[in-house]
Amino acid sequence: MKRSAQIRTGPVHRGHKFLNVRWLILSIFVVCFLISGLRFADNKAEPYPLVYPANFGGRINVPSNNPTTREGVALGRKLFYEKKLSADNSMSCGTCHRQKLAFTDGLAFSVGVDKSLTSRNSMSLVNLLWVRNFFWDGRSASLEDQAVFPMTNEHEMGQSLETSVRKLQQTPGYREMFRKAFGEGDIDADKIRKALAQFERTLISADSPYDRYLAGTYQPTPQELRGMNLFMDAPAPERQVRGANCGHCHGGPKTFKELFHNNGLDAEPADSGREVVSRQAEDKGRFRVPTLRNIALTAPYMHDGRFGTLDEVLDHYNEHIRDSPTLSSFLKGVSNEKGGRTLMLTSGEKADILAFLNMLTDTTFINNPAFSDPD
Amino acid sequence: MIKFKNISLLILLCCSPLFVLAQNAAVVTVSGEVLTPLELKREDLTAFKPLSHKVKDREGKEHEFKGVALIEVLEKAGVTTGAKLRGENLAKLVLIQAADGYEVVYSLPEIDPEFTSNVVLLVTEKDGAPLPAGEGPFRIIAPQDKKQARWIREVRSIKVLFAKD
Ligand code: HEC
Ligand code: HEC
Repeated sequence: MKRSAQIRTGPVHRGHKFLNVRWLILSIFVVCFLISGLRFADNKAEPYPLVYPANFGGRINVPSNNPTTREGVALGRKLFYEKKLSADNSMSCGTCHRQKLAFTDGLAFSVGVDKSLTSRNSMSLVNLLWVRNFFWDGRSASLEDQAVFPMTNEHEMGQSLETSVRKLQQTPGYREMFRKAFGEGDIDADKIRKALAQFERTLISADSPYDRYLAGTYQPTPQELRGMNLFMDAPAPERQVRGANCGHCHGGPKTFKELFHNNGLDAEPADSGREVVSRQAEDKGRFRVPTLRNIALTAPYMHDGRFGTLDEVLDHYNEHIRDSPTLSSFLKGVSNEKGGRTLMLTSGEKADILAFLNMLTDTTFINNPAFSDPD
Repeated sequence: MIKFKNISLLILLCCSPLFVLAQNAAVVTVSGEVLTPLELKREDLTAFKPLSHKVKDREGKEHEFKGVALIEVLEKAGVTTGAKLRGENLAKLVLIQAADGYEVVYSLPEIDPEFTSNVVLLVTEKDGAPLPAGEGPFRIIAPQDKKQARWIREVRSIKVLFAKD
């Protein structure tokens, strides 16, 4: 303000022509400077409140160099559905992560731009705010890092980050959105990753009937309650407690714990999972325990999509666990009958557990307009 | 994500002898607020005083665990124990992480003999044999805990950290 006052009261009127021009140029500079300052203050990105139930716990992961903002999330949402991020402009993140299917794609393996298949099943994108090691094998330590894999992998979106940056620079509207989200400076790969990560952090699911039951606003049916108890309890035939012990790995209010286990799919796993990351033989066939939120919507199941239905999954845990040196000790010799070698749930009990799994479907989440394609 | 995996698998298959070499030996690391970070193999624990503890399992069968006092391992790493365990050091905690991602916390005074007569053990043997897969090579035994949830199996890392507020 001081400087603009100086301009108005300056010695402009007294001087000759040359001086006048100098002052004109100077004042244009100063005005531009002030305007840009004002505009920057106007557009300072506004914090995006991440709202979740207290029983989810506050162990969330937001890197200090990428705070979640409304403008960043809006940009991330647009980028999530942006087909220009793929080599032939045919696919976006949303192609393999569809909101209606809790951000999976309904396929055992997804099809990339080169028409080849991914080697693993697409994962549900939900409550990622609490995840610390991404992918089935936990090989990526942040959402910012993770996003590079699908964008640049030739069997997925198959396009270099430089090309993506160039294509976005040539698309009207993006420069403005990036500027609003990240301030001055051009579009770059780092900002693309950051914006995608910001949007993904907002994908919070906390309104399934199970959440409402925990909040005291939903009364489960008797069958759902039986299923819930079987799901949570470990079998103890000596105390007449029947259970399936699913909660040991899948329990808690989020039905997600960040654990890595071999759940007995194969005696000799074709995909060695976590072992490739940790290079420890004990990790062979271990995979991240996936969230069971919206599980009824995310078929087919497991890292290779081998089971088409939840009935098949329950049959697996009940009857077909394959022993191996790295099979989780929590799935070994666990039975509802004394001396039993398998879980030995009755078909009625399996139906009860299925009823509980259906309680984890959050229709508010899959219909939330804030998560849909903005265009 | 896939290409990367295929290539690495291919390379690993082609040089399987190398693969064996490339595998990390099972170790437990001690890090964080320490003077000397440690990476201990099973054999390295013979440098500490051997201790044992007998436990009855659910069926009433007795098992003998053998190992060392966790405090000795922490002292080797130069953690603030004993006379140094005062002031802000009382706000430190010991975060123990397992291969499957399971985590538990102890506070330093729960482990330190100047504060407690309980002994928290880092064990490697059960009934005269190395701990089996899924339980070992390293496990914590905390006899004073009635519930065994902190008797963490497959210990891979021990971190001493300041509690953050
Ligand atoms: C061709 C299909 C495909 C596309 C396109 C795709 N993904 Fe994925 N996504 C997958 C598959 C398959 C996995 C599991 C891969 C693995 O574990 O190796 C996955 C895993 C993830 C995960 C890990 C989730 C977790 O819980 O660990 C995140 C996050 C993710 N994708 C985000 C994205 C983003 C962001 C984009 C766009 C930049 C994207 N994906 C594009 C197929 C795809
Ligand atoms: C020892 C830990 C453990 C226990 C106990 C356990 N699971 Fe799992 N579960 C896993 C792991 C690990 C995976 C992923 C395995 C893979 O894909 O290789 C998984 C996958 C699943 C999936 C597929 C998820 C998806 O997105 O594809 C379902 C459904 C499931 N479990 C249900 C159950 C039920 C029901 C029970 C109880 C009967 C149970 N689990 C017990 C560890 C466990």
